[in-house]
Amino acid sequence: MKKRTLSPGRVAIQVFLILWTVACIFPLYWLFSFSLKDNAEIFGGNVVGLPSHWIWSNYTTAWGAGKISLYLRNSVITTAATLLLTLFLSFMSSYGLLRMRWKGQKATMTYLLLGLMIPMHAALKPLLGILMDINVLSTHLGLIIPYTAFNIPMAILIISGFIGSIPYEMEEAAYIDGSGVYRTAFTIILPMMVPALVTAAIFVFLQVWNEMLMASVFVSTDNVRTLTVGIQQMFGQYQTDWGPIGAALVISTLPTLILYLCMSSQVQRSLIAGAVKG
Amino acid sequence: MKRILSNKWHIMVFVLPTVLFFSFFVIVPIVLSAYYSLLNWTTKTKPTLEYFVGFRNYIEMFTGKGTSFPRAVGHSLLYAGASVFLQLPFSLFLALLLAKGVKAEGFYQNLYFIPVILSSVVVGQLWRKIYNNDYGLLNLFLRAINVETPKGGWLANKGTRLWATFVPVLWQYVGYHMLLMYGALKSISPDIIEAATVDGASGPTMAFHIQIPLIKPMLKVCLSFSLIGSFKLYDMVKILTDGNIGTEVPATTMYREMFKSHNFGTGSAMAMFIVAECLLFTVLLNALFRERADGRTLRERLSGLFRSAPDALPKGADRP
Repeated sequence: MKKRTLSPGRVAIQVFLILWTVACIFPLYWLFSFSLKDNAEIFGGNVVGLPSHWIWSNYTTAWGAGKISLYLRNSVITTAATLLLTLFLSFMSSYGLLRMRWKGQKATMTYLLLGLMIPMHAALKPLLGILMDINVLSTHLGLIIPYTAFNIPMAILIISGFIGSIPYEMEEAAYIDGSGVYRTAFTIILPMMVPALVTAAIFVFLQVWNEMLMASVFVSTDNVRTLTVGIQQMFGQYQTDWGPIGAALVISTLPTLILYLCMSSQVQRSLIAGAVKG
Repeated sequence: MKRILSNKWHIMVFVLPTVLFFSFFVIVPIVLSAYYSLLNWTTKTKPTLEYFVGFRNYIEMFTGKGTSFPRAVGHSLLYAGASVFLQLPFSLFLALLLAKGVKAEGFYQNLYFIPVILSSVVVGQLWRKIYNNDYGLLNLFLRAINVETPKGGWLANKGTRLWATFVPVLWQYVGYHMLLMYGALKSISPDIIEAATVDGASGPTMAFHIQIPLIKPMLKVCLSFSLIGSFKLYDMVKILTDGNIGTEVPATTMYREMFKSHNFGTGSAMAMFIVAECLLFTVLLNALFRERADGRTLRERLSGLFRSAPDALPKGADRP
């Protein structure tokens, strides 16, 4: 291997990489710092430095008066329920599509994966009508149902890609021992599927947590409104007060950031899963 | 085992709920959208065949009086161009630099991905603050170095608003494309790189003649992601400018037509146009990059603009 020396070329590359690092990170740093400042500092005295007094009241304002606690709760409920439902349905159908034997397996798979090509924009108006007809508009279900439906194709793509790597012998042994199909699927296959389920879960989590279009069309009350739209709402009230807005943005980003810090490569794998397999 | 796994009842329990759920909430709405797009449906009319107008909505949205849809499509094409000719080359450049094995390569790679995981609301609002006319970071900086700032603010000024809207989106997804390309570069067999090095290839030669041809399949993926993404662009534009005149894209115009003007027919036609655009480009890209029997892609047959991988390379080496 070549020995690494400090040539001008290498230095230039490092400088360039560091510049892009700053471009990626600085906006976030700025967000964190102004979420703890008051307007006087943000607008004049101390624009880019660390806050001179840490104004935690921005956070309590956002949390209480800005209703961020409510929106956060709604986001958690919606995301968690969508995750469970999507993973359950995708696992069940992947097992049925890949391990069971029947006519039309391929066609059904293709049909479900068709969903990958459909942008949700195109379904908004009819979906609004359907959700109204089944009486779930402006309830948590009104978001959980469409989110699940639109995330199923991707989850199936990820999960079914993994099922193939589990040896048939595992099931054979289970069935010979007299284990039923449900017990085999859920106590023998499911535990081995954890890596794929985690990958799918992270993907779905990020999609749902960050979704805005459906959340703005299908929800009209604060009681179910999720963070993305809730924060938009809050901007109306706090147009000129940047501190609480910054605090709200930080609160809504923290779950994603923490997830990424804890398992960055896993998160990356989830988000590029579609590209690598597709 | 075979009896259990081909038991019709089991198959139904496992597969049917998903198929029904998906059909009812994804496929049915799309089919309905297609149907609505052929109706003259406004607040005064109902979505029934009585108001069937054929393809009138599709013609109206392009030629109707005061329609902004053609401009919106133009903007999305412009964005697609910016993504293909600025964002992707830049991402590729970063990926090539990182793949050379610089110090702290994993650290950079992880960092560049951070913007990707942030929600558009956070990124959009942050950039609105950066662009703020009076107190934004950008203008403070420009004033400090005595450069004139655009009149009315970056997102309102006629000359800057469109690009000011595009920059945050371009910025956000550089890390995504970079990661895809970087992964592909890393999976090129070290033997090939070493052989090329022995033959005297380095820097740009290596990049253009060895590495880039070898990661073509991944470049295709990036290309289709960025094209399809540009037609679906919505969140960021909505947050930054609300899709006001001069910055509208197809999805924001569709949203307005549907939920502000309540022209459900025309809005549905726009929605179908977005779907068709996405499908068309996916098909086109597949045709363009498909490996033919003789190992040459259609694109290579059509033009000699790009050079293909050197013949010396083993067949199939470009499939990591």
